[in-house]
Amino acid sequence: MTDSSDFKPLKTWSHLAGQRRRPSEYEIVSTNLLWSTDKEVPWELAPGVHMNQWYLKYRDASPLKHSDWNAFRDPDEMVYRTYNIMQDGQETYVDGLLDEYNANDHDGGLNAAWIQQLAELYTPGRYLLHAAQMGSAYLVQMAPASTIVNCAMLQSADQLRWVSRIAYRTKELSLAAPEAGFVDGERGHWQGHAAWQGFRELMERTLVAYDWAEHFTALNLVAKPAIDEAFVRQLGSVARREGDGLLQQLMDAHQTDNARSRRWTKSLIGFALEIDGNKDVLGEWVTKWAPLGDAAIDAYCAALPNADSAASEAKGEVEAFRADLGLGR
Amino acid sequence: MPLLERSDWYDIARDTNWTPDFVPREELFPSELSDPYDIPQAEWETFDEPYKVSYREYVKVQREKDSSAYSVKAALSRSKFHDGLDEGWASVLKLHYGAVALTEYQASQFQARMVRFGPSPSMRNMATYGMLDELRHAQLQLYFPHELLPRDRHYDWAHEAAHTNNWAILGGRHAMDDVMMCRDAITGAIMVSFAFETGLTNLQMVGLSTDATNMGDFTFANMITSIQSDEARHAQLGSPAIEIMIKNGRKAEAQQAVDVAFWRMWRLFAITVGIPMDYYIPLEQRHLSFKEFMHEWIIRQYDRQVRELGLETPWYWDLLKDDIENHHHCQQGGIWSWRPTVWWNPPGAVGPREREWLEEKYPGWNDSFGTYWDVITDNLLNDREEKTHPECIPIICNMCQIPISNRPGKLWKARVYQHEHEGRRYNFCTEPCRWIFTTDPERYKKHESIVDRMYSGEINPPTLDNVLTYMGIGVVSEGGHDGHDYRWIDGFRAQAAE
Repeated sequence: MTDSSDFKPLKTWSHLAGQRRRPSEYEIVSTNLLWSTDKEVPWELAPGVHMNQWYLKYRDASPLKHSDWNAFRDPDEMVYRTYNIMQDGQETYVDGLLDEYNANDHDGGLNAAWIQQLAELYTPGRYLLHAAQMGSAYLVQMAPASTIVNCAMLQSADQLRWVSRIAYRTKELSLAAPEAGFVDGERGHWQGHAAWQGFRELMERTLVAYDWAEHFTALNLVAKPAIDEAFVRQLGSVARREGDGLLQQLMDAHQTDNARSRRWTKSLIGFALEIDGNKDVLGEWVTKWAPLGDAAIDAYCAALPNADSAASEAKGEVEAFRADLGLGR
Repeated sequence: MPLLERSDWYDIARDTNWTPDFVPREELFPSELSDPYDIPQAEWETFDEPYKVSYREYVKVQREKDSSAYSVKAALSRSKFHDGLDEGWASVLKLHYGAVALTEYQASQFQARMVRFGPSPSMRNMATYGMLDELRHAQLQLYFPHELLPRDRHYDWAHEAAHTNNWAILGGRHAMDDVMMCRDAITGAIMVSFAFETGLTNLQMVGLSTDATNMGDFTFANMITSIQSDEARHAQLGSPAIEIMIKNGRKAEAQQAVDVAFWRMWRLFAITVGIPMDYYIPLEQRHLSFKEFMHEWIIRQYDRQVRELGLETPWYWDLLKDDIENHHHCQQGGIWSWRPTVWWNPPGAVGPREREWLEEKYPGWNDSFGTYWDVITDNLLNDREEKTHPECIPIICNMCQIPISNRPGKLWKARVYQHEHEGRRYNFCTEPCRWIFTTDPERYKKHESIVDRMYSGEINPPTLDNVLTYMGIGVVSEGGHDGHDYRWIDGFRAQAAE
């Protein structure tokens, strides 16, 4: 036991008291919050319980190693409170877009061919983003530090944001074009349209990549960048050329969330690369997963109208992102 | 055309199930993490949450709620409330934050299980908000006590408690890991969202907020009210799951999940809520006894909700009513006696006036629990403080991890309920704790209670100092002492003088 005189009043949590500077609100409320990483057996039940075995295998025995995952920090230092302030502002902007375009009868001015493209290539996207919402939530359960968990949590919420906005637009478009198959047709396209099968395979396989770090690699280094570049950016560009200013601007707003995801992804990769051996582990996973990401981009972009360079641009951007992380092929 | 209503597009956003082709569905939704009850996907797609919210509404409303909670805190942070604060209320805060802050955080990981493995898209979306809510609750309940650190080292336990092996924390972690962290999405929804949140915490917060207001702690009252408003929404995840289970022939499994979780949570709840209500809150500020609260808010309401859903009143209902009369009184005695092992300063708070109140609320208290305190009072009146510290080691329940005890005095009811499994004898405090073990021995066997660890060599040698260190006492902070420095015996001195 320590002598009682050692227990002087504190200015911050004892676990942060050793650092020189005053901790930020972010550090006070975000660091070292997992109790399942304290001991050899994650959960306070029989060691053989399925969930103990799951965490031992897929988190603690992951080939991606770090002696102190808790030292990771989100470069945006996002906390719950600031997330809502930021996203309320972002959503107010999106409300404004919808209102403004609506007032101008935007959907009434879209040509039939483009409406058909929207039904096939835009509104089925709710399945894609929902899969990313689920995948991000897997990281929430499995990441080995609360500072990583939190980034994944807000990433999951971001996906629900855009699932919701796509659902909103799906309904609006169904009112403007009742015969185009909106609302009821998306599942069929997601399951059967050639444009989506690459993404669907990528997401189904990502969702069962249960090693937490492989899951992170597949989701944040391959799947999400592929979604961001093909679905969000390239479809947004096509929308601009087709005179669909609303979709273009929605996709631009969507990119704000994607950029935040990439910032913490880059930080976490940089953090992991401090450790010898991790570069090989990550490199192998990128090698394994990147072809699925490329195939998803190829299949999707091939269906985009008048967009011959879309696939190569998208793949180039994804590759550049990974190269920036030190994980280019 | 005006902007659409939420109801115009809401169902589209929760129409997101598909049939996987590239991986087997069983691999995408493993039964141990998703639905172990084999209920068809189409049935889960009928899941309909009573409370609906969109992302757009969520971030707006939550922004406003946070703005209110944080601005009340900021406005009151220069007030003198915490100067000369009664240590009884300070103990409520210390106990609350230590028990709750990180538990809320693990709850966000639990909600994430429903987001990923929930078989219903509605559940997955609702749990996304639930996950964010729990992050909010963790962060609020870290940020608020952080401000109190310069006043008292005990507040460091708001962050540290869950990282220690303190006996009270082992009890909390064993229960939360059982009902929350180590369950599939469906069983967890039933256990946490229904049995725990709907059954206990949602209502408890209403009471706790009233207590805080009576104490003049408006910062805490406002924070708890704000948290409760989130809880009321995401607690709704449980009942649709129960309804679907019943409809698909799984009533017995749903019933068992509810009954296991409710009892497990009750054993903790009585300590974190019952003791503060009947002992820590000063007499003048008590608004209800714990028993009154339990009967008004829990016994009647919870039982009604259970039956309205199509389940039965738990088999142990009479045992629960009996436990309401005993458990927290026993634990008040135990925690006070073992006060050096906790991170708050529990007041004995059984002076003549308090005993009169306890006798009124719990007829027979003086002849039972009072006899325990008679000895303590006598020792304190005769300057034998050292005799108020027990030298024996309690027997710990191998389910709830709480010392086994029951009513003392003439109606002596203390006994241990035992069960043999694979050559080991397990001890339990009550019939329901033993029953829970038998529902799934594989889950609970081999776990060691804090006292088992003194004998197994994990705490070696099991000297008092080593045990305290193991529990984080003298590591995170000093342990507790009587919150009122024994002033509660002054009334007996005055009586003797008369």
